[in-house]
Amino acid sequence: MNWFYFSSPATFYRLAGALAPWFFAAAALLAVAGLYTGLVVAPTDAQQGEVYRVIFIHVPAAWMSMFLYFTMACWGAASLVYNTRLSAMMARAIAPTGAMFTFVALWTGAFWGKPTWGTYWAWDARMTSELLLLFLYGGFIALANAFEDPRRGDRAAALLALIGLVNLPIIYFSVQWWNTLHQGSSVSFKGTSMHVAMLTGMLLMALAAWMYAIGAALTRVRTLIIERERRTAWVRALAK
Amino acid sequence: MSHQYFLWMSYGAAFAAIALELAFLALGRARARRLIDEERALEAQD
Repeated sequence: MNWFYFSSPATFYRLAGALAPWFFAAAALLAVAGLYTGLVVAPTDAQQGEVYRVIFIHVPAAWMSMFLYFTMACWGAASLVYNTRLSAMMARAIAPTGAMFTFVALWTGAFWGKPTWGTYWAWDARMTSELLLLFLYGGFIALANAFEDPRRGDRAAALLALIGLVNLPIIYFSVQWWNTLHQGSSVSFKGTSMHVAMLTGMLLMALAAWMYAIGAALTRVRTLIIERERRTAWVRALAK
Repeated sequence: MSHQYFLWMSYGAAFAAIALELAFLALGRARARRLIDEERALEAQD
């Protein structure tokens, strides 16, 4: 398969339009299954009681906040290296969804922290580095839109995204590197100590978040493509 | 405060954030459609 075929905005516009509804539908189905498993099937936690059920929205949101930043930086790097229009547009399309998941992770973390730690917020390494991630998303969006020439905005924002990558290992390993209020990972490649229903609910919600993020990015990139390419022959052909 | 307050505040805010993003996506789609219509009008003028 020739992947460069899909790097053309005209081709990708149609592909994104065909795929986005399927990703949204998958996200809705997985979210229903995940919420049912997490809120109904999963047992009450022995230590935290019912409040632990915030986990089914907090953990997937936190995972997505980091994963989307990494993906955004990769698209940014691709736009700098290959100078492809679509890569920069994909980076721009991912940023608001990444910022949204980061906000959700911080917000739900605060509402989990209050009943379990006694405080909504602490300047703890994990929470502070996650807040920095939200600022990085905000900086990326602001910088990308700060230039009259969008290609200059693309390059500046891509550079910021690449510099900000250093924050991802800090977020991930903060609970190991420092003595933090935040608990360590319950799920790793080595295994998990969670009940199977809890783990299933969390993974279903993570998959739902993943599907939603892809659907949202594909929908947004279509708008960006039209805005950038509206004077081209293929958009004029689309208008017929 | 009961655990329900913390759960509702978490899930409620998360769904509100998603709803807001979906609304912005719909606005963006409407803007793209308007741009295509403008191109259509320009095409008709030519």
